[in-house]
Amino acid sequence: MDHRQRAQLQRLLAYLISLAAILVTLFPIVWLLTISFKTQRDAFSMPPKFIFEPIWDHYLTLLDKPGFVQAFLNTVYVTALGVLIAIVIAIFASYGIHRFRFRGKKLFGVWLLLAYMLPEFLFVIPMYVLYQKIGWYDTHIGLALVYQVHSLPFAVWLIRSFFKEVPSELDDASRIDGCNHLGALRHVFIPLAAPGIAATAILTAIWIWNELTIALSLSFSEAQTITVAVASFRGYTSIAWGPMSAASIVAIAPMLIFSIFAQKYIVKGLTLGSLKG
Amino acid sequence: MPNLRKKNFAYYLIAPAVLILIVTSLYPAVFSFILSFFNWNWGVRFDFIGFGNYLDLFRSAEFWQVLYQTFLFAIVATALELLLGLGLAVVVDHLKFGAGLIRTLLLTPLMVSGIIVALMSKILLDPMLGLVNYALNALGLPLSPFFGATSTAMGTVIMVDAWWQTAFVFIIVLAGLQSLPGEPIEAARVDGASALQTFFRVKLPMLRPVLFTVLIFRTIDTLKVFDIIFGTTGGGPQISTEVMQTLAYRKAFSFLQMSESMTIMVIFSAIVLAISLVYMRLEERLEDD
Repeated sequence: MDHRQRAQLQRLLAYLISLAAILVTLFPIVWLLTISFKTQRDAFSMPPKFIFEPIWDHYLTLLDKPGFVQAFLNTVYVTALGVLIAIVIAIFASYGIHRFRFRGKKLFGVWLLLAYMLPEFLFVIPMYVLYQKIGWYDTHIGLALVYQVHSLPFAVWLIRSFFKEVPSELDDASRIDGCNHLGALRHVFIPLAAPGIAATAILTAIWIWNELTIALSLSFSEAQTITVAVASFRGYTSIAWGPMSAASIVAIAPMLIFSIFAQKYIVKGLTLGSLKG
Repeated sequence: MPNLRKKNFAYYLIAPAVLILIVTSLYPAVFSFILSFFNWNWGVRFDFIGFGNYLDLFRSAEFWQVLYQTFLFAIVATALELLLGLGLAVVVDHLKFGAGLIRTLLLTPLMVSGIIVALMSKILLDPMLGLVNYALNALGLPLSPFFGATSTAMGTVIMVDAWWQTAFVFIIVLAGLQSLPGEPIEAARVDGASALQTFFRVKLPMLRPVLFTVLIFRTIDTLKVFDIIFGTTGGGPQISTEVMQTLAYRKAFSFLQMSESMTIMVIFSAIVLAISLVYMRLEERLEDD
């Protein structure tokens, strides 16, 4: 076997492994999708049915299930609100860290990191107590605020690494043109880092949309999110696979569709944050 | 004066972030810490008991078992995800055509919520009705109870987490591989190194910082596991898959033992904190090299 043949064989093997990985990755989701369109009989049939007559019943029962549609809408509000708070505040904070020296800068950085890393339940119960007192339990703003313990450090960290990529000549030029600090932020940093800020917003949205631990403890009905609604289908003996699958598909569809269009940004955000830290 | 104003300006910029951090992290941490010295179960009773909660926990076999299981889950899942993600990244890095599409498809699990990953795996891994046991049977392989038995439940939740999060390691390592400088790799090839030698002697050492970052993220994230276990086994059978966060949840919301739950979280946070600090030190040393 000469060198070229070996290289070709290697490449073939690489494609086969990739194909296997794609199958393992996508099959469970596709299977979930088929079950959401199957009758109970078809879902449990052995051997498993790959061809069947699709039914819409499970999706229709979701419309009747009290609170499910509301949970979907709640998640839209909470995600939008959470992303907005995180991005706006993070832009200013990242700019502060990037462009200024000040006492306590290192402490601020460590604090952000720790807030991001500590386990959710350390924060959840005290927030529960506070929210019961001030009436923010089970509200959209209440959830969106608690999410900041994770989303804000994440956004500051990412946006800061995007600000670092802005060429310093442009920053200097803006200063010569008489821009003040906020002017430079507005006319130089935000426009140049816009793709990065978009990437940060997208990743933050995906995280909030999918979050369960905090939503489970701090929302009940009024602000219940989609993950909590889907979680209510669990239970070890439950065999209501149809409605459970339909609910799951509804819950993941928005982020899956969104990610197809935002693919470039997602990869950019995930990799830049980790490669340049 | 201008210098002073410049300094103050930075504080204005970070003030909103600091305010949010105080409410969402400093207050809860201090509150939990203080309450861990009291005996409080939602009601009006509110007794100071010193280290009582801590001593109770340290004396209970359950606590140590759960702590052990949390680490078992974190170590095995992180190792598995790092190996699979690294392997997959090396393979996809080799491809000439379609690498972009393959990357896109392999990224899908990261868009899916943990609770849905959990429910999905319950359907596929159902001992009686699941597709996986059906396939094992058809291939003449032994069946598994998966989530249903104490001997297999932990392995199964680890597998499920690997399905979910390997993509995270994959995407970052792939980007790392693609951004490696070409000269050292070319030099090794000219010197007659095989592909395998080039990988282990040249590429892998250059990837060290990226792998380290991924290792930190996966370790901390797997230690904090909740969704996957909550949605599949709920910590069972018996308590064979219970981990720190599910234990804290159960104590607080099923048994209403608030102080005990907060004590668990204070201890666990100290552990996570210590691990983070050790990692950060190691990373600094790595960068100095």
